[in-house]
Amino acid sequence: MLKSFLEGLDGLTLECEARRGQACSLKDLEALRVEFLGRKGKLAAAMGALAQMGPEDKPAAGKKANEVKNALGSLLESRQAELDAAATQDALSGFDPSMPGRRPAAGSLHPITLAMQEICEVLTGLGFEVVSGPEVENDWHNFEALNMPPDHPARDMQDTLYVSDRVLLRTHTSPLQVRTMLSRKPPVAVIAPGKVYRRDSDLTHTPMFHQIEGLLVDRNVSMGDLRGTLTAFVRQLFGANTNVRFRPSFFPFTEPSAEVDISCVMCGGAGHIGNEPCRVCKKTGWVEILGCGMVDPNVYRAVGYDPEAVTGFAFGLGVERVAMLKYGIGDLRMFFENDVRFLEQFS
Amino acid sequence: MLISLQWLREFVPYTGTVQALADRLTMQGLEVEAILDPFESISAIVVGRVLECDAHPDSDHLHVCSVDVGAGEALQIVCGAPNVAKGQLVPVARIGAVMPDGMQIKKGKLRGVASHGMICSERELGLSEDHSGIMVLPDSLTPGVLLVDALGLEREVLEVSITPNRADCLSVLGIAREAALGFGLPLSMPKLNLIEDVSAGHAAEAVRLEIADPELCPVYRARVLTGASIKPSPAWMRHRLLAVGQRPINNIVDVTNYILMELGQPLHSFDRGLLKGGVIRVAPATPDMKGGMAITTLDGQERKLLASDLLIWDAERPVALAGVMGGANSSISDASTEVVLECAIFRPGTIRKTARRLALPSEASYRFERGVDQVGSVFALERAAQLMAETSGARVMAGVAVAEPKPWVDREQIFRIAKCNALLGLELSPEFCRVTLTGLGCHVDDSDPVCWRVASPPHRLDLEREVDLFEECGRVHGLDRIPAVLPKISKSLDSAQTSDTVFGFLQALKGWAAGAGLREAINYSFVGADDLDRLNLPEEGRIRIANPLSEDQNTLRTEIAPGLLNNVRHNLSQGNGSLRLFEIAKAFREDAASDTGACENSRLGILVHGPRHAQEWPWEQGEADYLDVKGLVENLLTHLRLGPAGFVLDPGHPYLEPCVRVELAGKNGVALIGRIGRVQPKIADAYHARKDVWLADLDADLLRELSRAVKPAFVSLPKFPPVRRDVTIICPADLRAEQVEAAIRELKPKNLESLVLVAVYAPEDKADAKPERNLTFRLTYRHADRTLVDKEVDKEHGKVLAGLPQKLPVRI
Ligand SMILES: [Zn+2]
Repeated sequence: MLKSFLEGLDGLTLECEARRGQACSLKDLEALRVEFLGRKGKLAAAMGALAQMGPEDKPAAGKKANEVKNALGSLLESRQAELDAAATQDALSGFDPSMPGRRPAAGSLHPITLAMQEICEVLTGLGFEVVSGPEVENDWHNFEALNMPPDHPARDMQDTLYVSDRVLLRTHTSPLQVRTMLSRKPPVAVIAPGKVYRRDSDLTHTPMFHQIEGLLVDRNVSMGDLRGTLTAFVRQLFGANTNVRFRPSFFPFTEPSAEVDISCVMCGGAGHIGNEPCRVCKKTGWVEILGCGMVDPNVYRAVGYDPEAVTGFAFGLGVERVAMLKYGIGDLRMFFENDVRFLEQFS
Repeated sequence: MLISLQWLREFVPYTGTVQALADRLTMQGLEVEAILDPFESISAIVVGRVLECDAHPDSDHLHVCSVDVGAGEALQIVCGAPNVAKGQLVPVARIGAVMPDGMQIKKGKLRGVASHGMICSERELGLSEDHSGIMVLPDSLTPGVLLVDALGLEREVLEVSITPNRADCLSVLGIAREAALGFGLPLSMPKLNLIEDVSAGHAAEAVRLEIADPELCPVYRARVLTGASIKPSPAWMRHRLLAVGQRPINNIVDVTNYILMELGQPLHSFDRGLLKGGVIRVAPATPDMKGGMAITTLDGQERKLLASDLLIWDAERPVALAGVMGGANSSISDASTEVVLECAIFRPGTIRKTARRLALPSEASYRFERGVDQVGSVFALERAAQLMAETSGARVMAGVAVAEPKPWVDREQIFRIAKCNALLGLELSPEFCRVTLTGLGCHVDDSDPVCWRVASPPHRLDLEREVDLFEECGRVHGLDRIPAVLPKISKSLDSAQTSDTVFGFLQALKGWAAGAGLREAINYSFVGADDLDRLNLPEEGRIRIANPLSEDQNTLRTEIAPGLLNNVRHNLSQGNGSLRLFEIAKAFREDAASDTGACENSRLGILVHGPRHAQEWPWEQGEADYLDVKGLVENLLTHLRLGPAGFVLDPGHPYLEPCVRVELAGKNGVALIGRIGRVQPKIADAYHARKDVWLADLDADLLRELSRAVKPAFVSLPKFPPVRRDVTIICPADLRAEQVEAAIRELKPKNLESLVLVAVYAPEDKADAKPERNLTFRLTYRHADRTLVDKEVDKEHGKVLAGLPQKLPVRI
């Protein structure tokens, strides 16, 4: 009796093994599971004989029955894994990772804005605070307070668009120096980004362009501080290997005044690329980037500061120039056409 | 300013290269912009000797010449000049040479005779206007030598950009001073050798000088020459003037130009025969009450005069616009023999005003308005008189007629070396400063070692303050050699509270816009009045540019739209049909209350046009419409924690139709944030837009103000579940969604948490009925402290279902 019981159980295993391959769906498999392992299944039926066995045979028969139950379970489980894998395969068969994504429209900032933001970030990082002011200005703020009295030849340096005799479109962001000092006591450390206007339009000039003005006034500010600030500034902007050159120059509102050249970003200061002369720096290896100087005592007098008590520096640079150098834009007019094929390059 | 190196070397023994000089000057603040070869265009011309000169067999005026040009066989050249002759030395352009006018010399045949080059006239070489015949060269030259070398023409000219403060450098002398300073070389002035002829008379007796106002003219000197013969200047002077861009005229005028370029002193010569009464008077113009006064200047133009114009008068009438241009009635002509040579100083501002008003800038006025060396002018007059006598054969009357009501007074400044070093960030030694200042021509009194007294030289009008001397010390030492240090930026506590800047807000707005898929445009702040008229915008309040560059840039924009609309036109012309643009910029309006007369308001403009999405799978295709631009505005307001906003129809807008006002309720009532609308098709058509152009124009300043007042505040998350009920309402098509929403809210269902429109469906119109649409709203009910039971929600929701048809013409 024990023998036939054991053979019957082995038969179950063999039968299940043979038939599980025919189960082609989870439903088939479930039916198979019920047939073999269900409450009224084949294993349960075989187990019915266990009750009539003698006590000497029961342990062996019970042990065998458990083995077969586990064997059947794992046979069905492995088939389930096969079916799951096949189902996943089916589900993925239509998946094409190369289809275009549902892309939201891409926006972009104007390259002038990008350059301006970068410049402002570097300068605010150095401790300057951003101020803003009017674009329509008084002659006094734009010229007189900046040591440019009426009929002074220095006014020739900036061709002006006038609204009336005494009102004009600011020709530089420098009136913000005046407005800031009028409204604050030293120390003052500000930058003023914004639009400026000149009566000038050709290949290298547009009647509107963007400038950033910087001003630091405190006790004992020296030209060495100016050099340090601008050196740090251009190196953060154009790279750590950028060299800076100070050339004496003239601005009515600074004394001494200097123009600052940086080593050419295109040719690295060599003046040529391979055997070709560099067009960006015209073979000089230097590119003029900004003007600066120590604030003229007459400006302090105009705003009510004591020129014996404070010193300071001011600088100003053209944002378009920086954008052209940084992004390799050759034609100034591109900036204001707003052709989307141009704009989208700065996404 | 063009500076000839040859000329410069007469003042300073500089032997280095032109490039080294240019570099040094640039680093001293005199920026050399270019190094030019003024005679480059004739650098291929050689000296030739005419070996044979025979008549052309087939012409009565041509000659067939055999010309020795040094190398190889003599060239056969056909020449038509009447003065060509055997034995002459002549300038020859060989085959291949390019003439100044761009013509290339080619091998040719003239009436059957081969010609291998051209014998040139002075005009063909650009050396003078003379075209009467070929140029005949001095016999001492050697055939084959380059003409430019044979004549000793200048090959190196510096183009120097002179800043307005450095009037002293507007001359060879000035640049020579800087070169001497830069290279430690001595400066030497030309030797004076002026021979006066007492028998010709005395200048002071020949002209009597009167100066009305010493401030306008501190000094006037005159030399008088007699028996001059007017003719071309000698070649060396003409060539030198040509090299620095001055056109030679005649020996008298050329000398005044020569001294102007050499010493920086503007001079003027009058024909004494045309001056009346032996008087020269310096006085302002005296226009009568009708404003009727004029002078005809050298160039033949009649110039209207104002009382602010300074004139030179003779006994009867004005004879020159002082410092600007001479008068036609007294100028040197070919017939002149008697010359009054004027050497004066005029008030810079006066000269500038006149020159600018009359748009008559000249080399003379350029220097006068920047300042001329009053002391140095004495030497300039003497040298000019000498050169005139030498080139014209005139005799110089004894003495100088002088009126100097305001003699030059030395200006003295203090100089504190400690302050100098503190400002520059240097440790300059007293020795260096003394040598530098002395080298500049200053007189230094350092008896007080802490506070020197320094008198600056009369040619340096810009050195009038202590700080100007600091600059000189820094400049000569080299600004580029100042050690760089990073300053410690100290701040007041006040400034710590102002981190929230206008600039920062506008940048954040730009960041939002780019993130929302818009591309930033930047347009000029000015547009044409036409651009505003096209949008039917009012005339009043516009700010006009008094001196615009062009009519399409003559008015500041009063709205953001014109620039963006121009971008539509440009992009459509380039085939860019899908536009999502934004711009943040100021709109300008007149405002009498503002100190600049202008109200400046930052605007955010958004423009969408054409396909809503990229034309690619899987996007559904469709044209951008109201909901696109409104959605952007709503998204922005959410971004700024503002809203919900009201969107109110605004009929009668100048260029938008429909136009919707965007309003926000605030403490001070309803604020108008801006407008959304579609550009009227007729107007859009002017910008070549065939599809709808949707625009939003928002007040960025107001957005900043409102959003600054809002702080994020946390609200506890709900602990109990919501109950949701949908209701579909059949409405007349012209009933606005917000009206339904408002009616539901007015019914005040208890525990209503939110109300959202979830679906819109427009059934097909039936012919006999009014058009309708179905709006499905989802109402979410929730209690903060407990779970709602169905029964109480049913009761509240029932109030809505029953109440709505009584309030509105709708069915549920
Ligand atoms: Zn380069």
